Amino acid sequence: MRNPIGWAALTLFSLVFFLFIYAPLLVIIGYSFNSNPVNMMIWEHFTFDWYRGLLGLGSRAADANNRAAYIESTDQMLRALRTSLTVAVVTTTISTLIGTATAIALARYRFAAKGFYNGFLMLPMMMPDIVLGIGLLIFFVTIGMNLSMLTIIIGHCTFLISYVFIIVQARIAGLDPALEEASADLGASEWVTLHKVLLPQLAPGILGGALLAFVISMDDLVITYFVAGTDNTTLPVFIFGMVRRGVKPEINAIATMMIAASIVIAALGLWLRARKTE
Amino acid sequence: MAIRRQTLVLATLLTPVTLFLGVFFLLPLLIIALFSFLTPGLYGGVEWAFYHWNYGRIFGWADDIIEVYEPIYLQILARSLGFAALTVLLCLLLCYPVAFWVSRLPNRWRMLFLFLITLPFFSSLIVRLYAWLLILKPSGILNTVLIGVGAISEPLEILYTPAAVVLGMVYVMVPFMFLPLYSAVDNLDRALIEASMDLGATRLQTFLKVVLPQTLPGILGGAVIVFIPSVGNFIVPDVLGGAKGLMIGNLVEQQFLSARNWPFGSALSMIVMAVVLAVLLGSTAAAKRKGGQNA
Repeated sequence: MRNPIGWAALTLFSLVFFLFIYAPLLVIIGYSFNSNPVNMMIWEHFTFDWYRGLLGLGSRAADANNRAAYIESTDQMLRALRTSLTVAVVTTTISTLIGTATAIALARYRFAAKGFYNGFLMLPMMMPDIVLGIGLLIFFVTIGMNLSMLTIIIGHCTFLISYVFIIVQARIAGLDPALEEASADLGASEWVTLHKVLLPQLAPGILGGALLAFVISMDDLVITYFVAGTDNTTLPVFIFGMVRRGVKPEINAIATMMIAASIVIAALGLWLRARKTE
Repeated sequence: MAIRRQTLVLATLLTPVTLFLGVFFLLPLLIIALFSFLTPGLYGGVEWAFYHWNYGRIFGWADDIIEVYEPIYLQILARSLGFAALTVLLCLLLCYPVAFWVSRLPNRWRMLFLFLITLPFFSSLIVRLYAWLLILKPSGILNTVLIGVGAISEPLEILYTPAAVVLGMVYVMVPFMFLPLYSAVDNLDRALIEASMDLGATRLQTFLKVVLPQTLPGILGGAVIVFIPSVGNFIVPDVLGGAKGLMIGNLVEQQFLSARNWPFGSALSMIVMAVVLAVLLGSTAAAKRKGGQNA
């Protein structure tokens, strides 16, 4: 860089930018350890109470009423977490299967509607989630389908198939088709070539797509909000409800645990990518 | 035989996606279109009779006995477009210099900052928004600090204003702008910049004539990716916005979950869909024209 002052200004601006991105998360983490229950902005002293309360270890020597409230919200939170995980696992499986099949079909076969499919598969990612959410809600109600975990799973799959498709397609584009041709020339059937030659090479892409689908499914709020019905709540919808009802110190602890989980998942993704390139 | 075999495999691979998206993506969108022309029932349901007043309420033809035209709906639509455009602009102004900075860093540091910018993708949207609730509250950290250092004496009322909504949207959308911009900036041909400077162009001229045109596809891509989810957003205004920060997404949500007027809600979301399609078609056309020029 020819201009050291310009570079210094740019560096300062960029560091402020990263502070802007990370400071809010640090605020949550900090306050999740603050014992002041009335005004969490005023630091009282360090505590694990909110975590204990959430994990059902309620140590606050408060009245029985207070204890009951903690236990109820703990139960609800754990149930929401279980729903989120179940939905994410099933959704990831379905959308990975369908998305991968679609990517293979579009990359390895020639047919008339190919251009249409390529464009069409972009739409679920581009459609605002509120439109998709209410469309699914009207659809399920009109055909008389009860809102349940199944409707959440269907809702997530409608857009996650496209995400998996994109990732796997990018991977296929980098492969050498000669290997598959060799397999076919040597007498392997279509299925055997797919299974023994193409899929093993695609594995990192499929894994990457599945990881992305899992993360997005765990975090989806809007579509779930519309198609979950009253009995099923996922973690993001549960937190959204808590945020709407008013700020409670327990949210800081949940949020901190979620931030920690997301860092673990991101690091896992990075590690997978590093292994892939080795 | 081999050909038929191939067709069979292709059909097996494509049937699931065709059925799934046909039934659970295309049909729901068509049903929204259908519902937007149906009559709202008295107690929340619908009557299967043609009714164009859902759009009349929004765009201005209304028979006062049936539905009342309220300019507020168009105002909220305009506000949503304005907020989304402002979000795009602010994201761009924030990300452009930072993308340059990151692309010029030594390899190891570049990897670290690229990781830091992708990390928010993995963390929960609602958690990140909630953080701003903590910061902007009248008794929040921003006001506590500003009062503490004596900069202000009364808490600033930022929460539940349009400013809070735009701030929240910029915060959640900024990584989506960064990545396409970064890849455009990273692919810049630096020889062209040096040539421009050597030939006597000023920094501003070099930026306008060399850097900007080359990074335009990245700018356009980032703008579309940020604009579309911003227009229909209802979570950010719900958490951070008050009555003045209400967006069209909130209207849609109200019609479905509290007012129970599904046809009217459908008409409103048809407008969101129309805006999105217009932006997509417009940007595709723009990208094509740009590509045509280069060729």
